[in-house]
Amino acid sequence: MASSLKEFTKGFIKENPTYVQVLGMCPTLAVTTTAMNGLGMGLATTAVLSMSNVVISILRKAVPEKIRIPIFIVVIATFVTIVDLLMHGFTYDLWKTLGLFIPLIVVNCIIMGRAESFASKNGVWRSFLDGLGMGLGFTGSLVLLGSVRELLGSGTIFGIEVWGKSFNMFLMILPPGAYITLGLLAGLFSFIGLKLKKK
Amino acid sequence: MKDILKTGVTLMLFTLAAGLVLGLVYAGVKGRIEKADREAKLRAIEYVLKDPLTGDYLVEESEIEKVVKETGIESIVLEETSKGIIYGPVYEFKTKNGKIAFVLSGASPGFGGNVVTVACFLKEDDDFSLNSIRVIEYSQETPGLGAKIAEEDIQKRFFPVPPTGLKKGLKVDKDAGSPSGSPEELRKRGIIKTSDVMTGATITPRAVVTSINLMYEYLKKKFGEG
Repeated sequence: MASSLKEFTKGFIKENPTYVQVLGMCPTLAVTTTAMNGLGMGLATTAVLSMSNVVISILRKAVPEKIRIPIFIVVIATFVTIVDLLMHGFTYDLWKTLGLFIPLIVVNCIIMGRAESFASKNGVWRSFLDGLGMGLGFTGSLVLLGSVRELLGSGTIFGIEVWGKSFNMFLMILPPGAYITLGLLAGLFSFIGLKLKKK
Repeated sequence: MKDILKTGVTLMLFTLAAGLVLGLVYAGVKGRIEKADREAKLRAIEYVLKDPLTGDYLVEESEIEKVVKETGIESIVLEETSKGIIYGPVYEFKTKNGKIAFVLSGASPGFGGNVVTVACFLKEDDDFSLNSIRVIEYSQETPGLGAKIAEEDIQKRFFPVPPTGLKKGLKVDKDAGSPSGSPEELRKRGIIKTSDVMTGATITPRAVVTSINLMYEYLKKKFGEG
């Protein structure tokens, strides 16, 4: 039980995919102009990550070593397409906003990374927990980044007005804002990590 | 040789299974996807059929769904030029005060792809006025810059435009030498003021303006006489 919990929570802070492992930077930087976009992208990635981890873990003994990469890609691409179709049908507005970034989940290195380093070597339950935990860690990171950028750039969080438009730093919505916020948050995570170690 | 074949067949089997799963999922959600697309288009048509000042529908609400159903919802290319594409079908509505309203769509290249706009024009004698627009496709525009076109307050800068403004060919204020004046006054002269609300973004509003001009020219050509 304790090890299951550890598997699930390691992606939150200790092995956070964004701020600690620095993986999946393309969607992280591109879609986090608002908290809502970050949440949508994070949840879509979490769904793909947990499902692909489960299937890859089930197939791990049937997949020949030499062609494991193309097979993993087929599995991941299948789930991304399923998520894309479902979002088109059921969450049309979010699907429109995230646009090109949903198909790009296929090449998000977090998913391939977890398939290769975890799911292909571990059992189904642990792989599922790893995928879910890492996905939620990724979602949390995107929401945090999106919230900071949305607040400083537009004065709102999840579209709810926090302060007026007079404090807005336009730069925060643009790509440099993404890099600056990411850098500062990654620094903060490292600082917290070091403090925890000392304790 | 045997090894290559075995590997190839294994990979093929995995791909086939994936294809089968995707086929099944698609068959399951196909109806829902079509419904979502249809609803989005209907929402845009309903929006442009409202009076921009009062917010009331120009036509009877029951009429909208009826006309859309009769004319068809599938997009068709009516005309393609180097500046953009005009999409049909052209929906024709009779307004409550006896005018004819035309609703059609136009696309013009923005920063990262086509920006698609649904527009409603009203027939005024042998000319047209622009009642309202709705930008429905802008997903490739830069977030925070061109993608701000999604905001309703910004889209409201583009309409209504009287025939005098349309006749000259609409321009964004930056291309017209940034004249001073309120957005309403400038619209009468065919100038759309966006530089104050979309700082740094010129390409996206220019794409919207180009598609409005294309739709206007198309309507004049096809429905202008009489």
